[in-house]
Amino acid sequence: MEPAEVEFLAEKELVTIVPNFSLDRIHLIGGDLGPFNPGLPVEVPVWLAINLKQRQKCRLIPPEWMDVGKLEEIRDQERKEDTFTPMPSPYYMELTKLLLNYASDNIPRADEIRTLVKDTWDTRMAKLRLSADSFVRQQEAHAKLDNLTLMEINTTGTFLTQALDHMYKLRTNLQPGEGSHSQDF
Amino acid sequence: MSRQVGAEMPSKQKPMRYGHTEGHTDVCFDDTGSCIVTCGSDGDVRIWENLDDDDPKSINVGEKAYSCALKNGRLITAVSNNTVQIHTFPEGAPDGILTRFTMPANHVTFSPDGTKVAAGSSDFMIKVVEVTDSSKQKTFRGHDAPVLSLSFDPKNVYLASASCDGSVRVWSIADQTCTTSWLLLQKCNDVINAKSICRLAWQPGTGKLLAVPVDKVVELFRRETWDSQFDLSDASITQPLNVVVWSPCGQFLAAGSVDGNLVVWNVETQQCIERMKHEKKYSICGLAWHPKYKQIAYTDNEGNLGLLENIGDAEKPNDKVASAVAKDYNDLFDGDDDEYLNGDVIEPPSSPKTGDHEDDADDLMQPPGHVRRAVIDDDDDNSLDIGLIKASSSLLEKEDDGDDQPGGFSALPPSSTQQPFYDGPMPTPRQKPFQSGSTPVHLMHRFMVWNSVGIIRCYNDEQDNAIDIEFHDTSVHHATHLPNSLGHTMADLSTEAILLACESTEELASKLHCIHFGSWDANKEWTVDMPKDEEIEAICLGQGWAACATSALLVRVFTVGGVQREIFTLPGPVVSMAGHGEQLMLVYHRGTGFDGDQCLGVQLMELGMKKRQILHGDPLSLTRKSYLVWVGFSAEGTPCYVDSEGIVRMLNRGLGNTWVPVCNTREHCKGKYDHYWVVGIHENPQQLRCIPCKGARFPPTLPRPAVAILPFKLPYCQVETEKGQMEEQYWRSVLFHGYMDYLSKNGYEFDENAKNQAVKEQQELLMKLFALSCKLERESRCVELAALMTHSVLNLAIKYASRSRRLNLAQLLSEVAVEKASELAAAQQEEEEEEEEEDFRKRSSAGSSATKWGQLPGRNVQQDQEVEDEEETDACEEAEETPEVHKEKEPNGFSKGVTSAEVTTPKPALVASSSRGRVNPFKVSSSKKEPVVPSGNVLDNMTKYSKKTSSSGSRAADKQNPPVIKPLTPKPKTKQASAASFFQPRTPASNPGEKTVEEREEKAGNESQEAKVTAQENTENRRPRTGFQMWLEENRANILTDNPDLNEAEVIKEGMSRFRMLTSEERMVWTEKARGGRVNDSAEDKKRKRPPADEDEVKKSQEQKCEDTNVSKKSKPLDPSTNNRLSAFAFKQS
Repeated sequence: MEPAEVEFLAEKELVTIVPNFSLDRIHLIGGDLGPFNPGLPVEVPVWLAINLKQRQKCRLIPPEWMDVGKLEEIRDQERKEDTFTPMPSPYYMELTKLLLNYASDNIPRADEIRTLVKDTWDTRMAKLRLSADSFVRQQEAHAKLDNLTLMEINTTGTFLTQALDHMYKLRTNLQPGEGSHSQDF
Repeated sequence: MSRQVGAEMPSKQKPMRYGHTEGHTDVCFDDTGSCIVTCGSDGDVRIWENLDDDDPKSINVGEKAYSCALKNGRLITAVSNNTVQIHTFPEGAPDGILTRFTMPANHVTFSPDGTKVAAGSSDFMIKVVEVTDSSKQKTFRGHDAPVLSLSFDPKNVYLASASCDGSVRVWSIADQTCTTSWLLLQKCNDVINAKSICRLAWQPGTGKLLAVPVDKVVELFRRETWDSQFDLSDASITQPLNVVVWSPCGQFLAAGSVDGNLVVWNVETQQCIERMKHEKKYSICGLAWHPKYKQIAYTDNEGNLGLLENIGDAEKPNDKVASAVAKDYNDLFDGDDDEYLNGDVIEPPSSPKTGDHEDDADDLMQPPGHVRRAVIDDDDDNSLDIGLIKASSSLLEKEDDGDDQPGGFSALPPSSTQQPFYDGPMPTPRQKPFQSGSTPVHLMHRFMVWNSVGIIRCYNDEQDNAIDIEFHDTSVHHATHLPNSLGHTMADLSTEAILLACESTEELASKLHCIHFGSWDANKEWTVDMPKDEEIEAICLGQGWAACATSALLVRVFTVGGVQREIFTLPGPVVSMAGHGEQLMLVYHRGTGFDGDQCLGVQLMELGMKKRQILHGDPLSLTRKSYLVWVGFSAEGTPCYVDSEGIVRMLNRGLGNTWVPVCNTREHCKGKYDHYWVVGIHENPQQLRCIPCKGARFPPTLPRPAVAILPFKLPYCQVETEKGQMEEQYWRSVLFHGYMDYLSKNGYEFDENAKNQAVKEQQELLMKLFALSCKLERESRCVELAALMTHSVLNLAIKYASRSRRLNLAQLLSEVAVEKASELAAAQQEEEEEEEEEDFRKRSSAGSSATKWGQLPGRNVQQDQEVEDEEETDACEEAEETPEVHKEKEPNGFSKGVTSAEVTTPKPALVASSSRGRVNPFKVSSSKKEPVVPSGNVLDNMTKYSKKTSSSGSRAADKQNPPVIKPLTPKPKTKQASAASFFQPRTPASNPGEKTVEEREEKAGNESQEAKVTAQENTENRRPRTGFQMWLEENRANILTDNPDLNEAEVIKEGMSRFRMLTSEERMVWTEKARGGRVNDSAEDKKRKRPPADEDEVKKSQEQKCEDTNVSKKSKPLDPSTNNRLSAFAFKQS
């Protein structure tokens, strides 16, 4: 899966906006949205929120977790624990990126939030690399990683499985090669 | 101490106020006594101008502040990071760290000259530090536990300390040695476990005495000899004392206990002169005596600050005391309230007269609610006198009831008989005028208004004085920024204008300023100056008008373009006003409220064409001891208001303009100090829009607050039970749809479908309630519920009753139904006559709405009928399909019909979808039967029975698309037509026009039997109204031959005029014919199936058991034709 595809999936997440227009309920294949009342918070998918925001049709209310205090806590927790800690949203990275890119004026302390989420992400990626490393080193057959988000799995998933395939190939080639001189053919 | 005398004391205890978060606090006055300084566990030091200071200055000194001391512009605080800090005062700038410990310091105190600070810490150490040079420190070691409290000797020789190790020590400051030590306190290991924090104190001035709170007494030790001089105690003290503090003169001593008692003694006489109880009995942990006045500030360990004023004002007369009072204190503690003796002729007035008159005046001023008792111990001359007073004065007897002082002295009448002592309720200060949706004027950044249109903010700081206007809907107008050079303080906002008003200044008059952005010309603004000395106090905007209420008790109405309109006088000073459409609501003071209540009146008037007053200055009911905080209209135009207790009330126009509490916002608050700030009310959908405010009554402008939505809930009893819940829902639905009646009455447009939906919802709830009552064997309750039901639902109810073997009930219900039907018939007859006179086309093009809503609102008979007709449609459909479901599935079409008939029938779905502007293309409609405009009968359109037509999609959309009128033809009916005719008045089965129906019915056979029964019941209750229709069918040919060139509508018209020319007997014949039993057509049965809704097991079984028997039994009261049918049915069934 491409990161863009993951981001596409993340755009289905609901966020709260305060529209500045009035519109009746709109009926879409994915479900009904609205009604939109000016000044009244309403939950819409991220894609719509961003679209409206770009057209200056709404004000975004950041998700509850998108708050410096809470993110600091999450970051510290993530750093403290050896395993992955649960994230506030399965699409925390995508949402942070999308919302901060398009609606940073509605999010207090946007820069700090960006840094904090990046810190958390880095910590988690380091853990992921570390666990992949130890997985390969110890030649384990199974590993279980909880609380990974889709985006994180995507960063290493393809690479890791292919690398394991290669290593398997190399190993299986190596075994007979030792017995019967493979250089012959 | 033989006798305690309770004397009426005029000292005043103000209500406490919230100062800090829960936890330990400390308090002190500044040098001049101009402000109170408190610190608390939130780490803030607050500087209060006085107790009523709404906006105390806050200095953050750390995470937690344990103690603070203030002298010579230096604020010393002991904070949780183990340091003792200095801040400048009153600026609050950090001025360095004085000293550090390894544990937090528990108490800091200044030396009397202000050069040194002593601090005692939890690490057992005491340090004395020079304020100017923190390197000069003296350390006192010797305590074996955390140090609790310290006190400097006023002569700067000794330092007293109390510690958790149980000892109280006196140290020599010069050589840091322990001079003496008493083991007085209970030992404990930490400050938090200490029974008392033992704030001891040296007597100011001479330092002759050291006061130490030891359990329930204050022990006084003599300087140098260090022996216990005497104890001060009082009967009211039942818990250990926490704090003692001397008055600056050294004459009086105050002590606070852990259960919130505050006692003041005169040390000289050892008499208690003042006694106070904390309103919530929290532990008093901070006490400070005002450096000049007779005030004590106290704080408790829940973060509250209180102030006790006029201490000792009414001190018990005592010559010795009075003479002993230091000269400089005479004016403060004119402690000779002999007025209490003056009343008594027997007792020679022996005390100085100096304070008499002042005291008298004082007495009159003091509210009796704050009366306290002083206990005076005197064995001497007063004992006789007391008995006499007791006998002579009964004035204050009742006051004793409310007094929580221990009973020993409460019975004693403390007052003088000479002075008229006012004991009645005290007037409440009138609340000031306000604009709904605004935050207090003194704030630098405030909301001037937040309503459903937009937000007006006002910034009033150093660099800018401006007004920011923002619209929720940017299509109304773009956001605007105005300079506020005139200093506007009031604002209102509507979709066509911005209204601003300012108070007058020395040069300028009070102005009303309107920005009419909706105007189509170039001049959008206008300003009006008020006459001299007339201040605008409240303003509001309506549709096309603006109004202001002024201090001259005038209401001035302007057009939105600036033309002066009506002017009238208010009955009292205005509190607030609100406008909506052409309605103007005014709230004013009707009079003076007492004991915390406001006394408000409300006027509601219509400024439109009608110009009338709806509420003529009725009293506005508020929760006790609350005031008005919001007044306005719901988006639909119903007046509402909110009081400070968070109760939202709404006008119920259906019940003689009464006010109904619809929501208690405080129920939704999490914390005690949280509030909801109301910004708007919507009735459909039911929404209370408000802003949650944590720890405040109103929100700050930044960060931008978010609107939350609260549900409404009427305070009905037992809403946790199913019954109560449904009752609440029913009446709420009725209340919240009352606006429709109002709108229709006033000729406004509104969404009829919403009304229908509401009625459906209500009827469904009634049916549920009915079923519930049935289950509970409450038959009389069932009948009561039936009275509220519409016709069709009543039929369902009858069916339900009969199926659940409640024949008695069913019979009663059918009587109710018949009664209703006859009432309706009467009403209908009249109406029909009217209708016939009217132009057909017009009638039909107006759809049913004209007929329907042209009538009086309220649940009158006609309306019920109309609604019911629609209901009936559903009900009958339901009945039709019932047999089928019956056969194929478990035989229970009925329970479905009962519980979900109105919801699950396809038609309502259609109505719902068509009611909106847009139809959901993705919605799978359950309706196979696309409603075609019924063509069968022109009376469909003429009579109000056209629901089938009108609800069939095309009608709902709007009135411009009138249902097509088709001519009346005797041709066999199409399916749709017959479906429509099903809802039409029944004609006798013998009527040739109905034959096809009959035939089809035969085909339908068994399946429709049950339906027939229902229909039969319906028929019983039908109004006779197809006489004309039938007549027309027969005479149509005649008309056509006479006037061959008539079009269909004209034919009907002509027919009608001819029909009217018939004699009444003839007409009666036709009516009779029409009245004859007619059964409904069930051709639809096979076409329409519905999956059975979730069925009630009980009902199912009940129904199964009784269905065979019931039907025949039940039919007894019915007419013969019904009986025949029923017997046929019974026969077939068996």
